[in-house]
Amino acid sequence: MKPILRKLSRDVPAMLGLAIVVFVLLLAIFGPLIAPYPGDAAASHLTRRLKPPSADFLFGTDNLGRDIFSRIILGARGALAIALTVVTVAMAIGVPLGLLAGFRRGWLSETVMRVTDVVLAIPQLVLALALAQLMSPSIETAMLALSLTYWPFFTRIVYAETRRLSSSLFVDALRGVGAGTGRIVFLHILPNAISPVIVRATIGLGFTILVAAVLGFLGMGATPPAPDWGLTIAESRVYLPTAWWYVTFPGLAILLTVMGFNLLGDGLRDLVDPRIRRSR
Amino acid sequence: MLRFVLRRTALVLPSLLGLLLVTFLLIHAVPSDPAAALAGDAATPEQIARLRHQYGFDRPIFEQFLLYLDKVAHLDFGESAFSHRPVTLDIAQRLPATLELTFCALALSVFVGVPLGVMAALNHNAWPDYLLRIFSVLGIAMAAFWVAIMLQLLFSMQLGWLPLRGELSSTMAQPPRATGFLVVDCLIAGRWDAFADALRHLALPAVTLALGGLATIVRFTRAGVLDTLQQDFVFYERAMGYRWLRLVWIFVLRNSVTATVTQIGLLFGGLIAGGVVVEAIFDWPGIGSYTVQAILTGDRQVMLAVTLLVGTVYAAVNILVDLVHGLLDPRLMEQG
Amino acid sequence: MSASGPLLHRRQLGGLAAGALAAGALPAKAADASTFVNGWALPANLDPHQIFDVPMQALMLNAYDTLYRYEGDPPKIVPWLAESHTVSDDGLQWEFKLRSGLKFHDGSPLTSEEVVYSFRRVLALALAPAGAFLKVLKPENVTAPDPLLVRFKLETSYAPFFAAIPSICIVNPRVIKANEKDGDWGKTWLASNGAGSGAYRIIPTGYRPLEYLDLEINDGHFLGWADNPKPVRKIAYRPTKESSTRVLALLNGSLDCTDNALPADQVDPINASKIAQVVKDTIMRTYIIRMNNTKPPFNNLNARLCFAHAFNYSGFINEVLNGYATRDPYPMPDNLWGIPTDAKGYDYDLKKAKEYMAKAIAEGAPMKRPIEIHVQTENEQSVQGAQLFQADLAQLGINLKVVGDTWPNLTSSAAKPDSTPDMWVHWVSTYFVDPENWVGQMYDSQFHGTWKASAYYKNDAVDALLRKARGLVKQEDRAPLYQEAIRKIMADSPDIWIYNSISLMGINKRVKGRRFCTVGQGSEVRWLTLDG
Repeated sequence: MKPILRKLSRDVPAMLGLAIVVFVLLLAIFGPLIAPYPGDAAASHLTRRLKPPSADFLFGTDNLGRDIFSRIILGARGALAIALTVVTVAMAIGVPLGLLAGFRRGWLSETVMRVTDVVLAIPQLVLALALAQLMSPSIETAMLALSLTYWPFFTRIVYAETRRLSSSLFVDALRGVGAGTGRIVFLHILPNAISPVIVRATIGLGFTILVAAVLGFLGMGATPPAPDWGLTIAESRVYLPTAWWYVTFPGLAILLTVMGFNLLGDGLRDLVDPRIRRSR
Repeated sequence: MLRFVLRRTALVLPSLLGLLLVTFLLIHAVPSDPAAALAGDAATPEQIARLRHQYGFDRPIFEQFLLYLDKVAHLDFGESAFSHRPVTLDIAQRLPATLELTFCALALSVFVGVPLGVMAALNHNAWPDYLLRIFSVLGIAMAAFWVAIMLQLLFSMQLGWLPLRGELSSTMAQPPRATGFLVVDCLIAGRWDAFADALRHLALPAVTLALGGLATIVRFTRAGVLDTLQQDFVFYERAMGYRWLRLVWIFVLRNSVTATVTQIGLLFGGLIAGGVVVEAIFDWPGIGSYTVQAILTGDRQVMLAVTLLVGTVYAAVNILVDLVHGLLDPRLMEQG
Repeated sequence: MSASGPLLHRRQLGGLAAGALAAGALPAKAADASTFVNGWALPANLDPHQIFDVPMQALMLNAYDTLYRYEGDPPKIVPWLAESHTVSDDGLQWEFKLRSGLKFHDGSPLTSEEVVYSFRRVLALALAPAGAFLKVLKPENVTAPDPLLVRFKLETSYAPFFAAIPSICIVNPRVIKANEKDGDWGKTWLASNGAGSGAYRIIPTGYRPLEYLDLEINDGHFLGWADNPKPVRKIAYRPTKESSTRVLALLNGSLDCTDNALPADQVDPINASKIAQVVKDTIMRTYIIRMNNTKPPFNNLNARLCFAHAFNYSGFINEVLNGYATRDPYPMPDNLWGIPTDAKGYDYDLKKAKEYMAKAIAEGAPMKRPIEIHVQTENEQSVQGAQLFQADLAQLGINLKVVGDTWPNLTSSAAKPDSTPDMWVHWVSTYFVDPENWVGQMYDSQFHGTWKASAYYKNDAVDALLRKARGLVKQEDRAPLYQEAIRKIMADSPDIWIYNSISLMGINKRVKGRRFCTVGQGSEVRWLTLDG
């Protein structure tokens, strides 16, 4: 583990990514303590609507007079919560399925991989929109839709790795000495397949934040008054081009966060496995 | 080769059927009443009930599905409950606009992305590599709807260089419809003014859409080139005194194209979905805005047709990609 | 990045930019002086007998003609294709006398027979525009005794009949019948084509649903063009989906007008630009927060009174809407007849709200349960109103949850009391100018199940008054009945009535000669002239 960390520390973009991720994590944890106006998550101050950035309001105020700087800080928690939930759920579905399909042969494996293909072909955004319509738009619906469409990526990766490993010499050797299937899968194959999964998950965190923002933007994700970044951009459209600060800063917040996860993920990928190609 | 294509196509059909069934069940679980939407604002409850019966919304769901399959087999996708127009007609009118936009975006990302990717790989772990990596990540990390608005503010409003919305100026007469692809139709009709106008309208949406894909292409070209560079034959050729750049272009690039083509296949699906937002902001009259409209109004026939369409395009592109792989490396075709 | 600064210089820079950027690099400019680029929304399809909403009203006024039409501000119903009409004393028989020499776009004559066909088509399709007629008119009772006379025999006396006459377009049966498929009354065909006689003709080849539509002038329109020597010759509908794109397009001249629901915050920036301005018109469109009177605590009068006193009316109107709306405490536009002007509405008063809340709780109303308010997510004002309410109710200790929703979803949820949300926000626009359009259909219990009646309010005395008023013909007989009904409704406080709208529409300064009418909301193009 140590040489890997040392190598990572020499990778400038990856370290930049790590710094950003840590920074956003801190914001998410301590947000309400840091934000200058923590009450502005839900309050409204009609007398100071749409004020441009100033010393009092670093990023200006929004359509209900709330401090945009505070709302961006408060929004970090929601963004990370969505991303972590979605990726965890997707892994919880995708990884076991991948192991199963990869280690077993025959109809079971075939069925799992066919279903995976079908789900991969469902346009993520379309499913999310349809689900939002089905169960009324909310952050939970958005998370469900994203989880339901993200797991096939993990299944594919784990499937490919399991296939490769289970036909390798050391698994044959283990079988030779009488190791049980469970033991082989969980103690030998899973740990070896986990590094591409971690890379995928890191990038997936960023990706999920982005798609959740798109859903918020389309009015199918977070609901007011949540300080959701995508929702804030959606609300800001009505006030363009005058209130430029209203659209700019939440956009930058999304940009920075997603960039952080991607840089980190890329760095990890370069380290653990230069051969992963098929993942997005 | 023909056998390969046929076998792959046969494998796609059950997947598409599965996709259709999933979508069908999902859509019919939506409580929103298509009959109410259909009847309009001023309708009475009796009017709504009549329509529900007339359109068969009150029949058992499996019956509705079988009826639908029968119609789809005859290439009849029904009538939009919202506009009362045949869905096939709407799609035929709108699909070319989306494809045009998607191809432009894809071409942009490939032609810019591949050289940048090679450059990054050749400067592995040096500043050009770092900068390109950060740049490519920027492309992925920017929310398309935000970029779109920013580009509009800059290029249409501040600078006034490019049009803000639509696919043709309102004063420009449409060229006669031949292929449905506006740019192509302009060329066929010899309408150079309309051609230039259409290209200018394409610029901002295509760039917005290309950004995400560009970044992905840069990444994978970089990884592919790096991988190839480390293989034995490259060291060998280099030792034989081949010129470095020539070597890169001939061997390295050819080998890394495989990886990139895969990415293009995956990207295409992403681009069609990503088009939803871009089309809405730039008022691009394509499938994306059509889909959103259908979802918002609970227009079932349209939702089903669009899902099937996207699924088919996705599958077709993937077969095409595998075919290209096969041509580049015939051994793969054998394995199928 | 302010809107006004650099934009103003762009014209002068235009030449430079063109030099630098190849041919056609000039900023998108709206048209020559004969094309009006219209930013209004398009209706779902083009058939005026299938769709009846505000976008259709706007299209219909330009592409079709009706027997009578609303014109002017305040709206007056004036003869249009008809010269005059008569009504029998019992209010059952109506006769309309047509002008002579009327022609459709294809040159074929428009006589009473075509009018009869049009009304029968509406009744047969039984879609939105038929709403006002289905219960009182049978298809066989629309007849043409002679080529210039149309006769209607109603089943029961129904005063809003005449008010709804301008909602029925007269269509050309000859072109429709040629395109009929298995007795569908040409429904599919007319959804993408035109068959009218109006001032402008639909060009079907240039139509793509909800994206664009072109119309060209009908030089032979029956009114003639003597009153407008330089009319708009082509209307290019270019609706924009995103509100931001809409305003930007107006400011860079690629749209001649926006829709008329411009956010109040855009008024000053647009007026500060050189190219465009905002026109303000008082229209009849009320903004309401509905309460589901069947669900506790809303089945309790004191609870409803508590909510009615907890909304910050003046804050919303003056701060959020910058004063571009008038406080309307009645369940109807305050500029319509039938308003009991002596009745007092409710004011924002948290102290009173608290008192009512205490009474409601004493009577067992569950005031502390989480309450949901559904908003139309795509509609900024409905979201803002709900958020403001949320902040005020929080001070009372009432937990209001804002739930995003969509119009089609909301109208279908409103079909049953159980699925109707606790509260929801909407407007009621003018479909026809009559109290029936508001109180009549909102608070008569026979309309339960439609979105307009989604308070599920029931009061037998009110039902009786509204039904009696509906059956009388003369306005002076009906007005006192409506006044009485509204007094009773207000005392029961079934909903929260907030304002009557001022329509805000961004319009290019080259557009001259606009005439406003609340029906169609100022979208009639035939009066317009374009400068330059």
